[in-house]
Amino acid sequence: MTIPPALKKNDWIAMVGPSGYIDLNRTTDCVQMLKNWGYRVSVDPHTVGSDTGNYFAGSDDQRAASLQAALDNRDIKAIICARGGYGMSRIIDRLDFKEFRKHPKWVVGYSDITLLHLHLQSKVKTASLHAPMAAAFMKEEDTSYLIYLHQALKGNLANYRFAPQAANIKGSATGELVGGNLCLLAHSIGSVSVPNMQGKLLFIEDVGEYFYTIDRYLWQLKRAGWLDKISGLLVGDFSSTKDTTRPFGKTMEELVKDVVPESLPVAFNIPVGHQSANVTFKCGVQHHLNITKGGVTLKEVR
Amino acid sequence: MDRSRFLRTTGALLPFSLLGKKTLLASNNIMQESCSLQAPSGIPPYLKNGDCIGITSPSGHIQYKELLPAIRQIKSWGLTFKTGHTIGLKDGTFGGTDLQRATDFQQMIDDPSVKAILCARGGYGAVRIIDRIDFSGLVKNPKWIIGFSDATVFHCHIARNYNIATLHSKMCNSFPDNWDKATEQQRATINSIRDALLNTGKMQYQSIANPMNRAGRTEGALIGGNMRTIENLSGTRSALSAAGKILFLEETHEYLYNMDRMLWNLSRTGELKHLKGLIIGAMIRTPQRDPNDELNKSIYELVMEKVKEYAYPVTFDFPVGHIVENYALKCGVRHQLDVTTVGTTLSES
Repeated sequence: MTIPPALKKNDWIAMVGPSGYIDLNRTTDCVQMLKNWGYRVSVDPHTVGSDTGNYFAGSDDQRAASLQAALDNRDIKAIICARGGYGMSRIIDRLDFKEFRKHPKWVVGYSDITLLHLHLQSKVKTASLHAPMAAAFMKEEDTSYLIYLHQALKGNLANYRFAPQAANIKGSATGELVGGNLCLLAHSIGSVSVPNMQGKLLFIEDVGEYFYTIDRYLWQLKRAGWLDKISGLLVGDFSSTKDTTRPFGKTMEELVKDVVPESLPVAFNIPVGHQSANVTFKCGVQHHLNITKGGVTLKEVR
Repeated sequence: MDRSRFLRTTGALLPFSLLGKKTLLASNNIMQESCSLQAPSGIPPYLKNGDCIGITSPSGHIQYKELLPAIRQIKSWGLTFKTGHTIGLKDGTFGGTDLQRATDFQQMIDDPSVKAILCARGGYGAVRIIDRIDFSGLVKNPKWIIGFSDATVFHCHIARNYNIATLHSKMCNSFPDNWDKATEQQRATINSIRDALLNTGKMQYQSIANPMNRAGRTEGALIGGNMRTIENLSGTRSALSAAGKILFLEETHEYLYNMDRMLWNLSRTGELKHLKGLIIGAMIRTPQRDPNDELNKSIYELVMEKVKEYAYPVTFDFPVGHIVENYALKCGVRHQLDVTTVGTTLSES
């Protein structure tokens, strides 16, 4: 696994929109913060704030071209996706990673960008950052956890400690982090974008889904063999979960415990996802997970 | 939903000559020929007067009284019925616990007096029990398994692993409460279940032309069902096995972008590559609250862009899915699909 180099002062970060449309004024706080951190920022005019008049940040051709240009440009040291939404599935197979392999750089995003993280891990063997995107930098948001993205870009090793949860299943494991949005993880199964899950530390999050849909995804991961192969599971934020008219009758903790092998270490309420704090996870990088009565630690191992 | 006008007739009115069928067969590749050689052994015996249909609920919860309209029809067909212990059971949204639902389905498979298994309703839950079910009894004594929506799990699992035909059709909760007041279409769709099970003649279906259709003539076994359920099976031992077959898809209550993502899953798992034909049924989308969030493409465009490099026929607005016009389709049974500028005909071979 290739781990992209840390960023230095005055390095260029490109902001591109590979998925859904985002208004330009929702990106300005992000650009300012990245500048405050000492980086220079290049905002792609074709896919960020460009009024497409429809759902996407640009046509498939345009989104693919803008992301491709950022991947290929040697002067760009990191790419931050402006927004998720939907659209990565439509362009992922058009991307060419020949130049990127020669000059790897951090790719930053989550939600719909999960598919790109998986693809980078499975096909390009390069680590990437599951981390907040432009809207999370807006002043009215809780921006305290953005420091973890800054630390990751600077090359600091991750060292997280999370509060204990009654539902946690104790244990420890070491493996590469992989994961993201549960819908996208399930969506990728059967395609070339799925990494080998053996020994991985899997993290999952999703927003606004019905319990039965979450259950369906979890059963797919189980039936595709993922949950037998991984060495640890981190359950992130499942906020705004919807229930059916006839209540589904199970909690998130119960759904997870129904599908995981008994011996698998599982930590709940990890601050990763759409509505909680969203710390930065380095996909493809080895971490040591330790779940005890006293809490959960996740420590990068290099 | 009501874009397609639909007619169904029995074998006596089949428009295709036998000569046409032979010509088609002769042009088929070897793989398909070998499928057709296997196929007869995979078709369960059709039902006879007095045969028993077992009703079970492998997915959502249903009460006995909700079965009554279906039971009345089953009796009127000269058949008998038996209900499993999951009818009336409730565990959350499910028709009993996973163990109860799996056990009930297992008993229906293993009970020699049951000649067909009708899923009482869909919902969600089949994927939680499919790996608990032992299908060796079904392999020894094939019987029709009937349902759609969540029951797509059974259609795909059985096609992939056992090559036994199944029936994609309405379930108990779709039978009209009052048969005498039912519309002609409601009756025709319910009667299509009877005709398929009793084998009263070759099944035939028609739908009017859609300008987005891709014309052509093809033949192959049917496979398909609910798109969300099919995506949920990919990468598992129940995954869709559509190569060499005519695939039909339907979806309901989904945002258009979710449907697009599901189509990409089909595309990216290679399932669209080796089809003989593609049938798109009802694709009922949930509109976005903010119209600006709506995809700027129609379902027709979203489908066609995934299959543009292939040459097989594609037909839209076919009468299958979560609509009144949801006719019984025999999965695993060979059909001829004829898509022309005038209209589409699907006929059992």
